[in-house]
Amino acid sequence: MSAPDLLLEVQDLSVRTSQGAVLLQGAALQLARGQRLTIVGESGAGKSILAQALMGTLPEGLTASGSVRIAGRATNGQLSLTQPLWGHTLAMLPQEPWSALSPLMRVGTQVAESAHYAARLPWLRAREAALSRMGQLGVAHAAQQWLHQISGGMAQRVGIAASGLGGAALLLADEPTKGLDDASRSQVATLLAQMQSADQSLLTITHDLDLAAQLGGQLLVMQGGQVVESGLAEDVLRAPKHAYTQALMAAQPKNWQPLVSPLTHSSQPVIAGSGLRKAYGERVLFDALDIELARGEIVAISGPSGCGKTTLGNILLGISKADTGTITRSGAASHTFQKLYQDPPAAFAPQRKLGAALQDAVALHKVDAARIEPLLNELRLHTGLLDRLPSQVSGGELQRIALLRLLLLSPAFIFADEPTSRLDVITQHDTMKLLTRSAQQHDCAILLVSHDAHLAQASSHRHLSMGFAMQADTIQA
Amino acid sequence: MKNIALHADHTPASNRFGLKISISGLLLLILACLAILSIWWGADPHAQALSNTLHAPSIAHWLGTDHLGRDQLARLGQALRISLGLALASSALAVVLGAGLGLLAAWRSGWVERACSLAADAVCAIPALLWVLLIAALAPGEKWALYSGLVLTAWVEFYRYVRPVARGALLGEPVQASRLLGFGPRYVLRWHVLPPLIGSLLKLWSYALANAVLALAALGFVGIGIRPPTAELGLMMTEALPYYEEAPWLLGAPVVALLIAVMALQAVAQRWADGESQ
Repeated sequence: MSAPDLLLEVQDLSVRTSQGAVLLQGAALQLARGQRLTIVGESGAGKSILAQALMGTLPEGLTASGSVRIAGRATNGQLSLTQPLWGHTLAMLPQEPWSALSPLMRVGTQVAESAHYAARLPWLRAREAALSRMGQLGVAHAAQQWLHQISGGMAQRVGIAASGLGGAALLLADEPTKGLDDASRSQVATLLAQMQSADQSLLTITHDLDLAAQLGGQLLVMQGGQVVESGLAEDVLRAPKHAYTQALMAAQPKNWQPLVSPLTHSSQPVIAGSGLRKAYGERVLFDALDIELARGEIVAISGPSGCGKTTLGNILLGISKADTGTITRSGAASHTFQKLYQDPPAAFAPQRKLGAALQDAVALHKVDAARIEPLLNELRLHTGLLDRLPSQVSGGELQRIALLRLLLLSPAFIFADEPTSRLDVITQHDTMKLLTRSAQQHDCAILLVSHDAHLAQASSHRHLSMGFAMQADTIQA
Repeated sequence: MKNIALHADHTPASNRFGLKISISGLLLLILACLAILSIWWGADPHAQALSNTLHAPSIAHWLGTDHLGRDQLARLGQALRISLGLALASSALAVVLGAGLGLLAAWRSGWVERACSLAADAVCAIPALLWVLLIAALAPGEKWALYSGLVLTAWVEFYRYVRPVARGALLGEPVQASRLLGFGPRYVLRWHVLPPLIGSLLKLWSYALANAVLALAALGFVGIGIRPPTAELGLMMTEALPYYEEAPWLLGAPVVALLIAVMALQAVAQRWADGESQ
């Protein structure tokens, strides 16, 4: 590849904290005009640090060394050298377009602004360009609307249209699919591909291997601040060479082995809801819904966000009230019906040490404190964690401690609301393995909510899919 | 990673504020010592010596004497004792009352909340100093009237801060999790509601303390607060004003003491605020 074709060239880029800790070590990458590069890795792998170094927005206290050249100009991770390139040479996609767009200006005008100010088109031509780009992305009808009148998905397209129109040669997308379900993810992949015109290059940073596969192009796998594998996306994903890439592939829910063994004992319902209906104003989430969980049974519900999965679980737990319908519980005490939260810190008081929080539960329900130790081993947690505050342990560890606290109470039923969606993919696999194993060992029924159908399939006895305005007959086992 | 960066960023700042708190804390300590020690040590603040009026500062009278020959240092001690004491007591009760009602309103909502908010709005409908004036006018010169007036106007701030914060905490998932686990209101209050409130309440409290000291001085200055012959910062300023030409140090002492007290309290509050945002 001849040098003028290279749009982005990074050599031996390292980032250190002022204390000398190395966050990114010797990164090297090249991206030619019109090509795509995807960087994957788990949180803490240094992906975002790399993106910040490219944008020149490293947090204060971090220093970059090595060389970064963008469109032939050395920026070396310095803000003063990089900022002049923003907009027309280098653009970053907003991670949350909803907060990146202005509520005080019609959305079409905002898109036109980037064509006018960054690409320096006259105002009328900028408006035309904005309209035609929005048309390509299927949001032309939103041009005259305000931010509060368009949906989240539309806002995302508007954001993509605005960042693409500046005509930047290099587009950076940092975790564009964070928290999206399968369907929205492939939509974003398509949008990213559409947005990229012939001479633009796209650099995507993600933890999502499916997105990487959909985007194609070059792929870089990072771990612990280092690049461990690189190559064409299809080659790397088909035959990963590095052990870490292999682990990452194996931890994808679609590659999971089934985590549950069939129920052996006769089914005896722990909790049942019949004829449940819930509506928020005009919008009916579900109507005449029947659901029943047997002892030790794991039932998974998957479906698009906003379809009422969490509401259903909360109704079963009595946190929310159904409009109509009845909930029947087996005779077990009320504290044996529990919830595992999506956001692990949500289960803990932030100023209470974890060990003390466990002891509180032990004292309240007169449980044998000696059971903590074997449960710690069972969930592969070390005792030192109990001396820390919830904010001082990782999400995966905290979620397992939350599970430990529930298991101490010998639960009959756990509503697990996306318990692993905030965790990295390898941690997610470990946590789900432990959750399903413990549930089966302790004969506890679980209602598992997940937006990931593969995960739901692999870790449950029964799998229900939910859609919008669901009727009882659309539930299938 | 961000934590490391932020920490590195703030280390010099926290040192600077550490120094500032030690200065403002030291000044407050000196004022408090002056206020307390003057009970036993020093002259009688009411003893007049008409042969020895408007005396300049000397070994016998460190801050000189006033127009009735009374020892200015002893009078300053008494004034600080009354100002700081009343301000401490009234703002402490205001914290307890405002935070208590705020917690109650957040917990019970419904008509309890509406009643509390209505009372808070009613208090705010009239300027704070006017309230104190009105109540002080009921029993001129009585300490309890000043005290009630100060409490009445100061609790609203704490109520308005505590209610939404406590409501937010009570509606949050951590509280939901604790309730599912079977923990009662005491546990929820101790571990979920109070921890995020305490820091800001301390900060607001020291602002309220400074405000109360200022309000007392203002009332004394216009002659509605504490009555002569008791010494009070505002009253001492009024008394010293006619002799400004001959004895400027008479006016200087209460003014400087008031400035130091208010500025030191504000600095302490600022330190708490910065400590919280880190």
